[in-house]
Amino acid sequence: MSIGTKRAPSERKDLLDIQSLSVAEIEFLLETAVPFKELFSRSVKKVPSLRGKTVLTLFYEPSTRTLSSFEIAANRLSADVTNFSVSTSSVVKGETILDTIETLQSMRIDYIVIRHSVSGVPNLVARHTRASVLNAGDGFHAHPTQALLDAFTLREVTGDLGGRRVLIVGDLLHSRVARSTSQIFRKLGTEVGVMGPATLIPRTRHDFLRRFTDWEEAMAWKPDAIYLLRVQLERQKEQFFPSIGEYHRLYGLTTERLRRMSDAGIYLMHPGPVNRGVEICDEAMAYERSLINRQVENGIAVRMAALYWLTPGHGCPGT
Amino acid sequence: MGALERKPLPTMITEPPTALLFQGGQIAGEDSPRLETADVLVQGDRIVRVGPGLQGPPGTRFLDCRGCIVMPSMFDVHVHAREPGREDKETIATCSEAAINGGVTGMVLMPNTTPAIDSGSLVQSVLDTAREKARIAVWQTGCITKGRLGQELAAIAGMKAKGVPMITDDGNPVSNANVLRRAMEYALDFDLPLASHCETMELSHGGAMNEGRMSYQLGIPGIPACSEEICLSRDLRLAQFTGAHVHIQHVSSARGMETIRRFKNEGVRVTCEVAPHHLLFHDGDIGDYDTHYKMNPPLRTPEDNESLLEGLIEGVFDVIATDHAPHTEFEKKYDFVNAPFGITGLETALVSLYHHFVKTGKFGWDLVVKRYSAEPRRVIKLDPVPVREGGVAEFIVFDPARKTRFTKAFMRSKSSNTPFLDQELDGMVACVVRNGEVLLER
Repeated sequence: MSIGTKRAPSERKDLLDIQSLSVAEIEFLLETAVPFKELFSRSVKKVPSLRGKTVLTLFYEPSTRTLSSFEIAANRLSADVTNFSVSTSSVVKGETILDTIETLQSMRIDYIVIRHSVSGVPNLVARHTRASVLNAGDGFHAHPTQALLDAFTLREVTGDLGGRRVLIVGDLLHSRVARSTSQIFRKLGTEVGVMGPATLIPRTRHDFLRRFTDWEEAMAWKPDAIYLLRVQLERQKEQFFPSIGEYHRLYGLTTERLRRMSDAGIYLMHPGPVNRGVEICDEAMAYERSLINRQVENGIAVRMAALYWLTPGHGCPGT
Repeated sequence: MGALERKPLPTMITEPPTALLFQGGQIAGEDSPRLETADVLVQGDRIVRVGPGLQGPPGTRFLDCRGCIVMPSMFDVHVHAREPGREDKETIATCSEAAINGGVTGMVLMPNTTPAIDSGSLVQSVLDTAREKARIAVWQTGCITKGRLGQELAAIAGMKAKGVPMITDDGNPVSNANVLRRAMEYALDFDLPLASHCETMELSHGGAMNEGRMSYQLGIPGIPACSEEICLSRDLRLAQFTGAHVHIQHVSSARGMETIRRFKNEGVRVTCEVAPHHLLFHDGDIGDYDTHYKMNPPLRTPEDNESLLEGLIEGVFDVIATDHAPHTEFEKKYDFVNAPFGITGLETALVSLYHHFVKTGKFGWDLVVKRYSAEPRRVIKLDPVPVREGGVAEFIVFDPARKTRFTKAFMRSKSSNTPFLDQELDGMVACVVRNGEVLLER
């Protein structure tokens, strides 16, 4: 179908979170990512799907990997990519964002990829622009493309996500990755368990998460993958746990625990970047069942799928 | 033409004021849910007759009130008029017009303006403005502490001399318990109630909505209900200890309300208020980060809504007060975390209470009159204004058969930050009378 076709009522304009996606939509996105990934092993990695479209990246929070991943994804779809540089110091409030959006509206941007430290800003932007908005992470709220790449990656190695178990370890409370990733796994039939200090586990967890308080208990649950969250060291001033040392001892992936993971054949995942010696030991970086690098590679494929999906005429049929 | 050659002023014609006859309305009062059909004859600033088939003197204006409720006008003890300092949001003049639009003819202003009202002269300046610009009765409260900073006592005696009915640091709690204790003891001699905005700042810091499942889902920092409950318990215990009269503002949580009930039973001098939005909305209504549902204390859960409504019916709450908090559209368009707390309420309160509760049979007009007209006046030691012979003519006519659409054009407030914006509800304030003068008629 030609690009620029009017969006059908069933098609989405924006990708803001996982919560609002149907299973069919998620499946469509994951399936669409498969042929895109196959491109990567060719000498010409580009397809013309988004030729003539403009993608703008608007990152209000520092990021290297997500930003590059989106840029590469857009390039491989033949879109024109521009980075709208915003200095975090000069921009703090939503109203300046709306001013920016007004400007972008005049520039006829087709896609806005946005990251912001405040939850809900992509939703606000989406309401005020005709462009498709892709949330590249907002506050503690959502990081939908991270969730998609996580699901894609685990499915790639396990074949099927139904009945699988994933243990998420760390700061669930302040993690948009944890929210979106646990949502996508649950939607795809994967059980999600969590582990971490009580101060960093949401109090409402009973509604949807199984919580473990130590590794013994968690390992006995026989997870297929352990997903380590990054410990946000800057939060330590609020004292959610007594010390980094204690965190590492209680919840970190130590050499000993890594050995047990290896024995049990458990996959290791991490959204990156890692804090060595905090949530993860050095040896884990070379772990044979680490999916960390694969997650990065797949990130490009699912972001291509997301951009493609939001293009009028490409959306998931029948949703 | 020279300055001295002014045109003479027209000679004052001393005509008796026109009598007004409100015919066939159903009169509501605070003591009984029964409505009595009667005519109401007003002459001067007084209600001179109430009864069936009344005739007025020659020249009487007749107002057809058949099918309408005639009841004492509303009185709001919790209003932010934003003057001085933020006249872009509201002024005393626009706030007074908004009040009339909602059937309210008396309001008590909070002192969290810029500058904060913490001295007699500042109180006086607000009251001077009100005398000139407002068509309703305006009362100004004073701060408990200087600049609302929670440290040094404000000029309580000076403010009392200018007529403050209450002192409060509303917007903030007095975080230091010892400062609050001294303020309570000191205020006793001036017979001033202390109005408490109950919040434990260490627990709510950075929060923008109720802490719970919804805040987790939206990724918005939460304000736990215990932030209110802990401060509320502290304030009631201090009131018990000092003997002061504490008025608990905008109670949002069921547990907070239960604490008040317990202390009331123990004889502590406490009154309290509930805002219509805490009865009607919950944190799930925030939906897609709608800042029209952002206020402090935040909207809690549907269970809290239900408990607060029961509490209102059972009489735990002395008054309904709106916490009318105007903000510019521009500011409310910030992202949810940075947008200011608060919604307007004066124009929507009565109609929304009718639409959601009276019409549905949850409570009668007597409760509305008692909690939003009579008791609020009593809290600041005023007499209520029942519709009866010899009483002051301060009442409204409410038409249940008409509808109100809360468009920006309808609103008299400078701001329209309300969840009711562009909604149509049943009922309309058709006429507002104060001191015998018709302030609104439609």
